[in-house]
Amino acid sequence: MEQKRRTRTWCGFLLLFVLLAVFLIWNLFAGSVQLSASQIGQILLGGGDDLTQKQIIMQIRLPRMASALILGGALSVSGYLLQTFFHNPIAGPFVLGISSGAKLAVSIAMIVFLSRGVRSSSALLISAAFIGAMLSMGLILLISQRVNQMSLLVVCGVMIGYICSALTDFLVTFADDSNIVNLHNWSNGSFSGMKWENVTTMAWVCGIALILTFFLSKPIRAYQLGEVYARNMGVPIKAFRAALILLSSVLSACVTAFAGPISFVGIALPHLMKALFKTAEPLLLIPASFLGGGIFCLACDLIARTAFAPAEVSISSVTAVFGAPVVIYMMVHRKAGRE
Amino acid sequence: MSGYLETKNLSVGYHGKPLIEDVSLCVQRGKIVTLIGPNGSGKSTILKTVIGQLPELSGTVYLDGETMRSRSRNDIARRMAILMTARVEPELMTCRDVVSSGRYPYTGRLGVLRDEDKKIVEQSLSQVDALAFADAPFSAVSDGQRQRILLARALCQQPQLIVLDEPTSFLDIRYKLELLSVLKRMVRENDLAVLLSLHELDLARRISDTVICVAGDRIDRIGTPEEIFTSDYIAQLYHLERGKYDECFSTLEFVP
Repeated sequence: MEQKRRTRTWCGFLLLFVLLAVFLIWNLFAGSVQLSASQIGQILLGGGDDLTQKQIIMQIRLPRMASALILGGALSVSGYLLQTFFHNPIAGPFVLGISSGAKLAVSIAMIVFLSRGVRSSSALLISAAFIGAMLSMGLILLISQRVNQMSLLVVCGVMIGYICSALTDFLVTFADDSNIVNLHNWSNGSFSGMKWENVTTMAWVCGIALILTFFLSKPIRAYQLGEVYARNMGVPIKAFRAALILLSSVLSACVTAFAGPISFVGIALPHLMKALFKTAEPLLLIPASFLGGGIFCLACDLIARTAFAPAEVSISSVTAVFGAPVVIYMMVHRKAGRE
Repeated sequence: MSGYLETKNLSVGYHGKPLIEDVSLCVQRGKIVTLIGPNGSGKSTILKTVIGQLPELSGTVYLDGETMRSRSRNDIARRMAILMTARVEPELMTCRDVVSSGRYPYTGRLGVLRDEDKKIVEQSLSQVDALAFADAPFSAVSDGQRQRILLARALCQQPQLIVLDEPTSFLDIRYKLELLSVLKRMVRENDLAVLLSLHELDLARRISDTVICVAGDRIDRIGTPEEIFTSDYIAQLYHLERGKYDECFSTLEFVP
């Protein structure tokens, strides 16, 4: 049994790394400007004569890939944490309205600050997103004390999401023309236009949050047996729950601040990883969810920018097409398994 | 007489409202102490307070001579394990995974099991005769097997005290006997102190060293099974107006 598990773990991670390599390379090559392997190789090694080509690889495709990888992973881990918190597989930052709360707060920040001529910095956007995420989260927690049924809680989350989206749409309608283009692209979710400085910021924020999450593995494992047993084993329940909420909010806020709300990654990917590794062990699933989410977003972004080129589809549309069926399958399957 | 677990003038209840006051109980190592009483009489409330799931409203719980409050979480976890009625539905965990979660207070920061821990897990599994289904998913085994696994989980924590809240409810008679005989053996082999609540009077009578009768607003009586299980007293405790308790067979009978 132990041997079988070890083999499954190695094979699982091998598969993830192969997929990661495939989509990284594919993303590097795909685009409206066709580049040969030798050209790309030269550019990556610091050579290359054509300045435009260099610009495309180094300043457009690479930062975009990096952000898809980091933010996709962050979203997936955020979903894993929420699922742990609510003891439910349908929880995720998007369905619980947390992403939408962050989106609303960021739109307000953008409009208020941009109209006063302040340049929107990464720190400002992340802080706004974090505040929005925490407000939505607080609302969900309040509701969860009254509503025991998880399906109802999810419905409430979706409603909160709609309210926030509606308010965001109002704001977009009344915003100055110059803001609208920006705001509209962003509020549908997109990885386009990422700069290296954005990538550095998100790498720091998500990196620290991920390391902290990884060190929560032990209490997460105990918490999987339920609160009563976790407390008896010595888990400081209140502090632990607060840490779960904070970390999942920071992660999804960071994603929303940079790429807008992205749907279904947070629910679908942790579930796919559980199915792949056949375990809920946090020491495995936290890195696996990160990798899986990153790969999934790389793949979806590839489709978003190449399928109908030169037009770009919003990333959320693509992730929904692939993510929603997974969620539906999971819900049907779970019900069957219980009876 | 000093016990491993003692309570002094303990008041228990919910939301600051005392339900039962002045609970003084004492559980020694190698002994089984059982709470009996009608439904809703406060057995679970007492147990939940003792294990620290509910705050004590007044009074003190002593664990091995020191107050519970003065001990660290980890220290308590190494001394006291539980088996409560809360439903355990872990995702994708085998029975062995559930048992090994009991090593929590002993493992390092990331909770990785060392060889020594794994040995204790196997030992605990064999103590409850669960090696045969240790690799089965926890969600797929029978209720009786689940309770045995949860008991093994508690043992794996290497406690000196185990607190169990109605561990035999929902089990059929064979599993009830099986679980309690395993428990009785554990007490002998590991010199454990056991505090539990039971619905089944016949079982309580067979395994307990001391029986505590909880009667809704007070501890009505504490004594040996011989003292407690008399037809008059049980009829009074359970408000049997038209039935009677048969001393010889430890059964309740309905008198038409």
